[in-house]
Amino acid sequence: MSDDGDKTMDIDLGEFLGFYLLDSSEQIERLGAGLLQLEKEGGNIGLINDLFRSAHSLKGASGTMGFTPIVAMTHAAEDLLDRLRQGKIEVSPELIDVLLAVTDRVKEMLSQVEQHQEISIGFEDLVSSMRALLTGEKPLVSKNTPLAQAEPQQEEAARVIFVPLDFSLSEAEAENMSDAHMMGHGVYQIDVTLAPETLMKAVRAVMATQRLEGMGTVIKILPSVEDLEASNSETFSLLVLCDEPVEEIRKELLEVSELVAVQVNDYRVSDERVAEAGAEATRPVETVRPSQEIPVESETIVPVSVVPVAVAVPVPVPVPINQAVGGESNAPVHTIRVDTVRMDNLINLVGEMVITRTRLVQIGSDLKAQYSTDGMVNNLNEANVYLGRLMNDLQESVMRLRMVAIGTVFSRFPRLVRDLAKKTGKEMELILKGEDTELDKTVVEVIGDPLMHLIRNSVDHGIESPEERRAAGKPELGTITLDAYHEGNHIAIIISDDGAGLDLVKIRGLAVERGLIGEKEELSDSDISQLIFLPGFSTAETVTDISGRGVGMDVVKKALTNLGGLVDITTRKGKGTTFTIRLPLTLAIIQALLVEVGEEIYAVPLSSVLETLLVKLDDIKTVGGLPMVQLRGNTLPLISLQEKFDLPTPESTSSEVYVVVVGFGEKALGLIVDELRGQQEVVIKSLGDFLNNLPGIAGATILGDGKVTLILDVGSLIQDVLVKKIS
Amino acid sequence: MAEEQLVTFSLGSEEFGVDIMCVQEIIRIPPITRVPKAPTYVEGVINLRGNVIPVISLRSRFSMARVEETDLSRIIVLQVKTKVFGIRVDAVTEVLRLASEAIEPPPPIALGMDAQFIRGVGKIGERLLILLELDQIMGGE
Repeated sequence: MSDDGDKTMDIDLGEFLGFYLLDSSEQIERLGAGLLQLEKEGGNIGLINDLFRSAHSLKGASGTMGFTPIVAMTHAAEDLLDRLRQGKIEVSPELIDVLLAVTDRVKEMLSQVEQHQEISIGFEDLVSSMRALLTGEKPLVSKNTPLAQAEPQQEEAARVIFVPLDFSLSEAEAENMSDAHMMGHGVYQIDVTLAPETLMKAVRAVMATQRLEGMGTVIKILPSVEDLEASNSETFSLLVLCDEPVEEIRKELLEVSELVAVQVNDYRVSDERVAEAGAEATRPVETVRPSQEIPVESETIVPVSVVPVAVAVPVPVPVPINQAVGGESNAPVHTIRVDTVRMDNLINLVGEMVITRTRLVQIGSDLKAQYSTDGMVNNLNEANVYLGRLMNDLQESVMRLRMVAIGTVFSRFPRLVRDLAKKTGKEMELILKGEDTELDKTVVEVIGDPLMHLIRNSVDHGIESPEERRAAGKPELGTITLDAYHEGNHIAIIISDDGAGLDLVKIRGLAVERGLIGEKEELSDSDISQLIFLPGFSTAETVTDISGRGVGMDVVKKALTNLGGLVDITTRKGKGTTFTIRLPLTLAIIQALLVEVGEEIYAVPLSSVLETLLVKLDDIKTVGGLPMVQLRGNTLPLISLQEKFDLPTPESTSSEVYVVVVGFGEKALGLIVDELRGQQEVVIKSLGDFLNNLPGIAGATILGDGKVTLILDVGSLIQDVLVKKIS
Repeated sequence: MAEEQLVTFSLGSEEFGVDIMCVQEIIRIPPITRVPKAPTYVEGVINLRGNVIPVISLRSRFSMARVEETDLSRIIVLQVKTKVFGIRVDAVTEVLRLASEAIEPPPPIALGMDAQFIRGVGKIGERLLILLELDQIMGGE
């Protein structure tokens, strides 16, 4: 009648696929984390409600997109959670297991969706095990039980008070309505609350309208569909003519996904006027109580509450409409999603501006030299100084855009530890700290795997079995702590367990046995613990599928070293082991030592520079074709960058050369250079696919003068020399 | 009538053409950083507004003698599929349209250079224009 234009609104679902995927994976994450929490605090009704809501909106969104397998699974999960919150069943390990399995399965399905494949993964098994749990429910507790009274406050907060709205009807509409009223048709105001952060709100409104059109006539929708999409409002109201029972209307609407609460109230023609007055002032709502003609069924379904009682109790407190219906979900949005490509582009541009600014400064000082008395030149230089300050701030702000909380990495570990604990029969909990600690996106992306290895290691080798722990006088529940905090320009990540500690004697013995160290070699405790990072080193007597076959730890070490990171171990027998990882905050910017070789400048990552020396040419001896120098009793192999990089031999030779001692892992090497140019922060740039795999070159950077400078790959230089040494 | 729009440039006495759709921009020679151990025809890398891109010396690619940089020397920045790179040329001459009929397949003995780099030869009156196979210039297979 009034909104046929809206009904025909055509929606291309493909466009929303990206949104859907993002949103769904977030819901899945939330579900996964929530389930783990639920396992610990079974009776937490708020948590169950949260989970229910996540499952519900996942179901809704999947339904809209037409992914039936996901709908089927989430629907069953929703049923389970529903029983749970009604107190009809209790949290059990089996229940958590099956629900976690559901999250895993949905994740797999989502990845199929993402790759534009048909969902081919089965789901029937999980649905039937969920059904089995459902039927195994406890004897029914009747609806209006103490449960409702047990949470009176929550109940009250959740109830929505009916406020007739001013629909600003046109004359024709008003007439229509009063006619219908006179004829004895039902006239209802339906207040609908959407799930928090619902995407495509207008779509929901249209879907709701369509449903209602099947039962009656929708006169007006407020706010209008267009306004709804644009606004932050999570509620809308419909004015409907309908002869179906109130309960039917509600049921019909609740089938639309993302509609979390529907309140159907009788709307009297006179309310139109009353509402006008009501809108002006916050006056007690009770004066506009719904009409008495039809038994009042002012009922609200809000997932937050326990099953609502059937009759609305008028609460003599005026509640502003938006607060009453939207609740806490009205919080403004504080974050936006941005494509990383755009962000990188921004960072690039800022980098360019920094370089251009350096040129301006250079021009300014040149002008100053030439026209020292000119006031204009001074003005220029002052402006340059100010610009410089702004540029620094801008650069810092832009780099901060790339910072991500490490919590995004940590969040997957509670599940890991739980599963591992089940598998090993050990009892333990994982404590997360410092999840808000921020570090660069590039680091966050690669830190996950090494951390996972270390945690697996702690579970497998660190924490003892409950019996052993009891015997050692420790609580049976082992604790693994994951912590992160900033430490200057670095981030420190701590993984500690209260397990058995490293068996240093055994490690030493094994290392000797395998010829990794000499029998008489004197090693400090920390040196011995570092041995576990050697390739092929595992003290676990039995190979398990948890921490693997001794490939884990050296991979961890290597991965961390590649990131410019360090790992320390402290261990106390019987008390536990602590791994401390120190990583640079970003991989995009590194501290580098600039060195001059002939006419060229190279950047050496400062993280691998051990020291710099001034060496007399006479002290350099050739051993087996390789130049060497004695450094504190050890021989240090040297390479000449000038030879290595085919540079012309310099004409004048001084009697001394600079040597930059670089280390990679346990190995050290001296680089012979002509000049040291000091250290600087440099932004790492790729050389592109074409020049990517050149020996000795890790990447490039652009210096203040706009010239490209190559960054040395210390690892490959050392590798190269060692190979030469052997052959 | 099908035709191609080309950017033409010179190397010594010879004239070459590349498809204008591949040309991103034409710049003066900035400081070039040599890249050790790179193929000999890679002259080095340059900073193009914050991006590091490789520069190919066409003279070296075509086994021609090196020449000093002049006022006319330019780098033509090309984008071929996803690769962005520059080619260093003696001078950029003009932009012209060439009818497809005026393009002939490369002669069997191609002016003393590798035939793989040549897509065809264009004729404009008495002038001969060597059209480059850009896929091959940058590494190729």
